[in-house]
Amino acid sequence: MLLQQLLNGLVIGCVYALTAMGATLIYGILRILDIANAAAYVIGAYIGWYIFDLTHNIVLAFVVSMLLTGLLGVVIHRTIYAPILSKPRLMPIIPLVAAVGLFTLTSDIVRLIAGGGTKAYNLKFDTDVYHLGGLTITPQWILILVLTCMLFLVLWFILNKTKMGLAWRATAEDAEIAQAMGINTKSAMALSYIIGYGFAAAAGIMVGVLYNSITPALGDVPSYKMLAVIVLGGLGNPVGTVLAGILVGLAETLISVYLPIGLPKDSIAFIALIIILLVKPDGLITRKNKA
Amino acid sequence: MFSYVVSVVVTIEIYALLALSLNVITGYAGQSMMGHAAFFGIGAYTGALLTNAGVNFWLAMPLSLLVTGVCGALVGVVSLRVRDDFLAITTIGINFVVVALFNSMKVFGASLGLSTKGAFFFGTRMNNTHYMILLTFLIVVVCLLMRKMNHSWFGLALATMNNDEGAAKSFGINVSQYKILAFIIGTALAGLTGCIYAHRMGIIFSSNFAFTFSITILSMVVIGGIGTIRGPLLGALLLGAAPEVLRFADDYRMLVYGALLVIMVRFQPQGLLGENSVILRFLKRLTKGQKGGAVHE
Amino acid sequence: MKKLLSLALSMSMLFALVSCGGTPANSNPGGAGADVSSSAGSGAPSSGGEPIKIGFFAPITSAAASADGESTKNSVELAIKILNDAGGIDGRKVELVWYDDGLDTSQAVSIAEKLTTKDGVCAVVSGSYSGPTRVAAPIFQAAGIPMMSAYAVHPDVVNAGDYVFSQSFPGKVQATAAAYFAVNELKAKNIAIIAVDLDFGTEQASAFKAYAEANGATIISEDFVAMADNEFSSIVTKVKSLNPDLIYLPNYYGHAAEVLKQCKVQGVECAILGCEGADSWQFFETAGEYAEGFYITTNLDRDSQDPAVQEYIQLYSETYSKMPDMTGASAYDAMQILFEAIKTAGTDPAAIRDAITGMTNIDTVTGTLYRYTAAGSAVKPVQIQVVKDGAFHHYGVIEDESIIVPEN
Repeated sequence: MLLQQLLNGLVIGCVYALTAMGATLIYGILRILDIANAAAYVIGAYIGWYIFDLTHNIVLAFVVSMLLTGLLGVVIHRTIYAPILSKPRLMPIIPLVAAVGLFTLTSDIVRLIAGGGTKAYNLKFDTDVYHLGGLTITPQWILILVLTCMLFLVLWFILNKTKMGLAWRATAEDAEIAQAMGINTKSAMALSYIIGYGFAAAAGIMVGVLYNSITPALGDVPSYKMLAVIVLGGLGNPVGTVLAGILVGLAETLISVYLPIGLPKDSIAFIALIIILLVKPDGLITRKNKA
Repeated sequence: MFSYVVSVVVTIEIYALLALSLNVITGYAGQSMMGHAAFFGIGAYTGALLTNAGVNFWLAMPLSLLVTGVCGALVGVVSLRVRDDFLAITTIGINFVVVALFNSMKVFGASLGLSTKGAFFFGTRMNNTHYMILLTFLIVVVCLLMRKMNHSWFGLALATMNNDEGAAKSFGINVSQYKILAFIIGTALAGLTGCIYAHRMGIIFSSNFAFTFSITILSMVVIGGIGTIRGPLLGALLLGAAPEVLRFADDYRMLVYGALLVIMVRFQPQGLLGENSVILRFLKRLTKGQKGGAVHE
Repeated sequence: MKKLLSLALSMSMLFALVSCGGTPANSNPGGAGADVSSSAGSGAPSSGGEPIKIGFFAPITSAAASADGESTKNSVELAIKILNDAGGIDGRKVELVWYDDGLDTSQAVSIAEKLTTKDGVCAVVSGSYSGPTRVAAPIFQAAGIPMMSAYAVHPDVVNAGDYVFSQSFPGKVQATAAAYFAVNELKAKNIAIIAVDLDFGTEQASAFKAYAEANGATIISEDFVAMADNEFSSIVTKVKSLNPDLIYLPNYYGHAAEVLKQCKVQGVECAILGCEGADSWQFFETAGEYAEGFYITTNLDRDSQDPAVQEYIQLYSETYSKMPDMTGASAYDAMQILFEAIKTAGTDPAAIRDAITGMTNIDTVTGTLYRYTAAGSAVKPVQIQVVKDGAFHHYGVIEDESIIVPEN
C-alpha cells in the first residue's frame, strides 16, 4: 500500500510541478507573482477540449492548445504587464491585482462561452488499468508521467543548450546587466510567457484527462497552490520547482493517509511552507549564484 | 428601497475600514500582506464567540480588536525574518491555515458556520441603519487618526522605512519596532471590523474570510491609490458598489468587473487617486481654472 | 486641507454612486424576468390584473456554482412559463424578479433587502446554497415575506422563523434514510464514508454514522475532502485495505464520479451509495460507464408515473437541451408550492404562509409533500435511485415516518 500511495503522490506531484512551472519561469524574469497563470491553465484545458472533441487526436490537442495559450501569454504580457511594469517606483503587488483581474475575467469568459457545467474529455485507452506486481497504474498516469518528463527535457534543452535559453538565464540573473551586455531581454520575456502559459495549458489538459472533467472553476485551486510550490522551489528556479511540486504531492498524499491531522489537504502545503520559510527565509531551494 | 441602499452602504463601509487597515501595513509600512482576510476573520469569530458567551457587543468590539492585534503582532515578528515576496506567500499561507481551522474546529462551528446573537444598543436590536451610523463614525475617526499619524514621528518613520530601509536604520529609526506596530494597528482594525461584520451578518462561514477576499481588499487599496487615505476609500466604494451597480450587465457582471479591474490597473497603476493620477490632475486643473476665473472677474 | 477636501469628495462620490447605482437597477430587475412578462403580455394583453411578482435568487455568475444556478433559474422560468401559458393564477400572470447572488453572503443580504423593500414580491424562492440562503432568511422573516428554500441543507435555514420554509427534506433526513437503506436493504456491516468538507457533507456524514452505528454497522473510516479537490486515489487505496462492504459518499457529482472510477480501477467491488449531490447530468458526463450500479438518495424519481414529472423532464430537456437535475427539480417544486398557496390564499404574504403551513399531500415533481413541520421543513419520501444503462432509475422509496420526519 505504501508503494501505491507513493505512486499516487508522484502523479499528483508531477501535475503540481507542471502547473507551477509557468509561474516560475515568469517570476524568474519579471519578478511578479502571476496568478493569471491559472487562467492559462483553464483556457488551455478548454482549447484542448474543443480540439479533442473535433479531431479526437490528443497529441494535436496538446500541441495546438499549448501554442495558442502561449501566444495569448505573449499578447497579455505586451498589452498589460509590460506597460504596468514600465512605470517607475512600482510596488510588486500592483501587477498582482492586474493578474487577479485577468483571472476573474478569463474564468468568466470561459463560463460564458462553454457554460457553467462539467465537460468530459472521455479519452479512451485500450485498458482501464495495468497491474504491475501489487501496483495498479492507469494509462492516464503513464501519459502524465511520460509527458511531464518530456516537457521538462524540452525545457532543460531550451534553457541550457540554446541561445534563447542563455539569454533567458542571463536576464533572470540580472535584467539590467543582461540588457547592457546587448542581450535581447524582450525576447527572453516573450520566451517566459510562451513556455509559461504553454506549460500551464498542458497541465490543464492533463488534469482534464486525469479526472475526466473540466469546469470554469478549474483554476481556483492551482491559482494559489502553485504559489506555494514556486516558493518552496526557490522562486524562479525551474529545477527547484520540479522537486517542490513532487514533494508537495507526496507530502499531501502521505500525510492525509498516514497522519490525519484533521485539517484539509490544501492547508498541509501551506503549513509546511510557513515552517520552512521561518527556518529558511529564502525558500527551501535557493539559487546558487545569488547572494 | 432605502434599506437596500443602507445595506449596500454598510457593505461598502466595512470594505472601507478593511482597506484603510490594510493600507497601514501595505501602503505606509510597505509590507507585503496578502492574508488580511484572516485577521478580519479572527476578529469576526472572536466577536461572535464572545457575544455568544454573553459578553456585551460593545465590550466584544474592543476585545476583538485586542485579540486580533496580538495575532497581528506575531505576523509582524515573522515579517522581520521573512521578506517581500516570501512574506507575501507566508501571509497567504497563514490565511489558508486560519480558514482551515475555522472550517474544521467545532468551537468555530466548523463547516456549519457560526451564528451570532444580534447586537443591542441600549436594548434595541441593531439594524443596518444603526450599523451604518456606527461604521460612518468609525471611518471618520480612523481617517482623522491616520491623517494625524502621517504627520507624526511614527508616520515619518514609516515613510522613510518604506522608501529605504537601510537609510531609515542609519537615521536611528527602530525599524523592527515600527514594522510590528504597523502590523498591530492594521490587523487590530481589521479585527474590529470583523466583529461588526459578524453581528451584522448573523452568521459567518469560514469561506467569508478566504484568500480570495484578501485579494479583494488588496485590490481596493491598489485601485484607489496605495499609501493615501482617499485611495482605499474610493477603492472600497468602487468594489463594494460594483456587484450592485453592475447588475445591469446581467450575466456579464463578473466579466465587466474583471475587465474594469485590469483596465484600471493597466492605465492607472498608481491608483485612481494615487499620486499624480489623471483624476487628481483633472481636479487640480479644475480648481486652478476656477481660481483663475475669480481673478479675471 | 487638501486631504480633507478629497476625503469629502470621495464620500460624496460614495453616495452619488450608490444612488445612481440604485436607479438603473430600479428599472430593470433582471433580464429574464422581463422576458417572461413580455412573452406573457403579448399572449394575453387584456388578461386581468397586475402580475403577481415572485422573487428568486441563485448563484449565476460564480464559476464554482453556476451550473446549479443555471439549472434552478431555468426551472423556475419553465414553471412560470407553463403556468402563464395556462392562464396564470385567477387570470393574473406571474412575473419573476431574479437576482444573481454570486455565492456571496454580502450580496445575498442586499438582494434580500431589495426584494423585501423595493420589488414588491409576495414570496421568494432561494435557488442558492446554504450560506446565502441562511443570511437572507432572517431578512425575509423580519419583512414577513415567505421564503421557500429549494435545496439548501443547512439545518438553521428554517429556524429563522415561521415565514421560512424548505421545499426539500433536510440533509439529516436524507442521510438517515441512506443509512436505513445501507443497513437494512444492502446489509452493510463495514462502511467507509468519503464526504465533502462542507455543511452538506458533514451534516449527512454525522447523521448517517449515528443511524448506522445504532443499527449494528461499523464505520471503518471517515474522510473529508475539500469541495474543489478531485483527488481520491490515495483515499480509495486506503479504504480498499480496510475491506468495506459499502462506501457512502455524501458529496457532489465530481467527487462521486472520481471515487467510482478509482474503485473500479483499484478493484474495490463493494456497493457504493451517494446522495442528491450526485444527482446531475454532469455526473454522467464524467463518470461514464463507471456509474453502473451506483445508488443515490434523492428527491426526484425519474421513473415516476406522475404525468407532471414526465412533463417537467420532457419540457426541460427540450427547452434547455440538457437533462434536468435535482436542484432544478427542487426549485421547480418550490415554485409549484408557492403557486398552490397563492391559488388558495391570494397574494397576501401572511395568507401565503398560512396556506403553506396547512398544506397536506401535495403531489410535486420531487414526490408527495405530506406536510410541513412546525419549523417549516418538508416531510417527503426519500427516493432511492440506481444507475442502469447510464441513467438514474427507480430502485425504492423510503416512506417510514420514523425516518423521514425532520427533527424541526
